[in-house]
Amino acid sequence: MILSGWESVFFWIFSIAAILAGLLTVMARNAVHSALFLISSLVSVAALFILLGAEFIAGVQILVYVGGVMVLFLFVIMLVNVGAEEEGRAPIFNRPAQVTAALVFLALLAGILVIYAIPKGYQALQKRDESAMQQTSAKRAAEQANMPAAATGVSRLSSQTQTVGTALYTAGALPFEIASILLLVAIIGSVMLARTLKQEVAADDVDPEVLNEMKQS
Amino acid sequence: MFQEASRTSTALESIKHPDLSKFLVIAAILFIIGVAGVLTRRNLLVIFMSIELILNAANLNFIAFSRYLQDTGRGDVMSGQIFTVFIIVVAAAEAAIGLGIVIALYRNRETIWVDEIDLMKW
Repeated sequence: MILSGWESVFFWIFSIAAILAGLLTVMARNAVHSALFLISSLVSVAALFILLGAEFIAGVQILVYVGGVMVLFLFVIMLVNVGAEEEGRAPIFNRPAQVTAALVFLALLAGILVIYAIPKGYQALQKRDESAMQQTSAKRAAEQANMPAAATGVSRLSSQTQTVGTALYTAGALPFEIASILLLVAIIGSVMLARTLKQEVAADDVDPEVLNEMKQS
Repeated sequence: MFQEASRTSTALESIKHPDLSKFLVIAAILFIIGVAGVLTRRNLLVIFMSIELILNAANLNFIAFSRYLQDTGRGDVMSGQIFTVFIIVVAAAEAAIGLGIVIALYRNRETIWVDEIDLMKW
């Protein structure tokens, strides 16, 4: 999987955008700014998915994360008042000593991963798969050569979405159903969690002791 | 001298032609940023956002390896993308439950700063 030409330009643009937006997500003082930076990071990663040929996942990422989850986040940020942090009356990071220790540990982890573990592992992987890689690239080049000269970009598009759908409904059918049950449980659970005491009383779902205390106060 | 020149040319080559390892590096950096957010921030909502960042880094790894398997023709080429769909589903469920907890917590304690929420500490 070697990108070239404009693909590599877009790769660097979107990966740097994703990392910068991720950093700003963690460092922004205002939670709304954090959410907006997280949205831009997620969109950049979706662009990387398209570069990797996973158009369907990129679409799902934008629809579900950006369209659904992040809107939910923004709503909750507006319900929950975090004024002190935004106005600079309180520090956004936790106690300095612990934060320093965490950052030192994470810098070590990042250094080992980026400098040693990933390049070494990738070299070994490349050595193992060299011949298979050359075979598939030769096959792909032959397919490209067989295409008529008038073939447009659309006819060169991959049929990834179809393949993903087929795999999802055949090999992944049982996990798919389990995921639907998980989502149902999550819906019911979050409705249960976010009820007010009044709503719980209306549903006759309160401990009698709590009810007595409430009446006394 | 010659070795030095060839090393810089391979570095330039790897910038011009990013491969699987570059995607893995980007995902690792995103993961580290997310963990840093979880460990250092006080705001529960920002901690949840950092968790989304971590899950997204894992997704990027899955998709990159799925593409790599497609190029080498080894293994089940679609499983990476299937896994990613399920990770997105689980992340959505987690966000819904987590935000429900945040709202319930704010209603009871009037705060979402994690170092003030110490009811279960001993």
